[in-house]
Amino acid sequence: MGLLTVLKKLKQKEKEIRILILGLDNAGKTTILKRINGEDISTISPTLGFNIKTLDYNGYKLNIWDVGGQKSIRSYWRNYFEQTDGLVWVVDSADRPDRFADCKAELHSLLTEERLAGASLLIFANKQDLPGALSSEEIAKLLDLKAIQTHHWQIVGCSAVTGDNLLTGMDWVVTDISKRIYMLD
Amino acid sequence: MTVTPSAKTSPAATASVSPDDVLKHDRPTEKFLCPINANAFIEFLEFRIRDVDTNQVMFEVKRPSYEIDWNARDLSGSDELRTINYTFPAAFLKYKAVGTTLVFAVCPAGISNFRMIERHYFKGKLMKSFDFTFGFCIPGSVNTWESVYTMPPLDPKQIEEMIESPDQTLSDSFYFVDDTLIMHNKASYRYAT
Ligand SMILES: Nc1nc2c(ncn2[C@@H]2O[C@H](COP(=O)(O)OP(=O)(O)OP(=O)(O)O)[C@@H](O)[C@H]2O)c(=O)[nH]1
Ligand SMILES: [Mg+2]
Repeated sequence: MGLLTVLKKLKQKEKEIRILILGLDNAGKTTILKRINGEDISTISPTLGFNIKTLDYNGYKLNIWDVGGQKSIRSYWRNYFEQTDGLVWVVDSADRPDRFADCKAELHSLLTEERLAGASLLIFANKQDLPGALSSEEIAKLLDLKAIQTHHWQIVGCSAVTGDNLLTGMDWVVTDISKRIYMLD
Repeated sequence: MTVTPSAKTSPAATASVSPDDVLKHDRPTEKFLCPINANAFIEFLEFRIRDVDTNQVMFEVKRPSYEIDWNARDLSGSDELRTINYTFPAAFLKYKAVGTTLVFAVCPAGISNFRMIERHYFKGKLMKSFDFTFGFCIPGSVNTWESVYTMPPLDPKQIEEMIESPDQTLSDSFYFVDDTLIMHNKASYRYAT
């Protein structure tokens, strides 16, 4: 399975890492999580709470938390910030134009959170398979990623439906986390 | 000599049990460590076991409907309802990675700290212990947790021993809300050829 391969890269020091997947509702968070785990993605409904994967590989542990993005749930996101090593922000690249302002505001507000201060940030410009999808460069502009000085970040265009670039993105975030932890001591 | 009914009640059944208590267990418990009605917090909706390499579902139970009336739950069941006896094909012992998925609903008040500890035994000896902290659970939420773990490679002799010892593979699952035991389930496992 793809994710286990990524996990193999972890060095002895980081026995347990925690990744938090957030983004507006309908962005494709749960589909991405299921896809990288080799699960069926045809019957996914909106997440009304959390959806966790714990991967245990030779004593290395990867915990991935996907929390629902509906407006009524977003106020609970802060309960899941503690000990987050990597934040994955998922964007529906073919979303209605008026939703990008909301998407940008939510992301930038997360970046001011003290408990997320040390986290590596991966932005998935998802749904690249859709004809109306904006490119990752366009998404980067809309979300004003250049202004981010506080976090290591990377944007990756992907599709949860075709699976394109999902492992590339996860690989970046796991590698960035490992490097950072390694440099700390 | 007469024995009053209350003298029969063991302290374990009433005193609250903490995570530290069960982490000390080195064999399966003889009885359930909390009453069924201690659980006013969560309701299991689904449980599934899959072989990760082939994504094949080995075992699945689903609650028929998601409608839960939190004010009128039937918590009067007998202890048999808290025990599951699994029979798996022996091929199960050769899987490299297994995923167990739990889907559960949370009461309208939510939970500030939810934790699960599961102890697995073979022939009375502790083989593996899982300890997972969910932490906060959103009021009225439905949550999914899949734990994917790689199985230690077993040699043919060990496999044979496990097949030939039905019901010697046992587990205790403990669920805590704010460090107080609210649910205790048991399982036994046998492997059929
Ligand atoms: N075409 C296309 N559709 C996608 C892709 N990723 C997700 N979808 C669809 O988008 C819808 C929403 O996907 P979810 O994974 O449920 O989105 P989510 O971000 O988890 O949503 P919430 O749980 O409400 O926060 C579903 O119908 C998916 O099939 C993609 O890469 N391409
Ligand atoms: Mg979701």
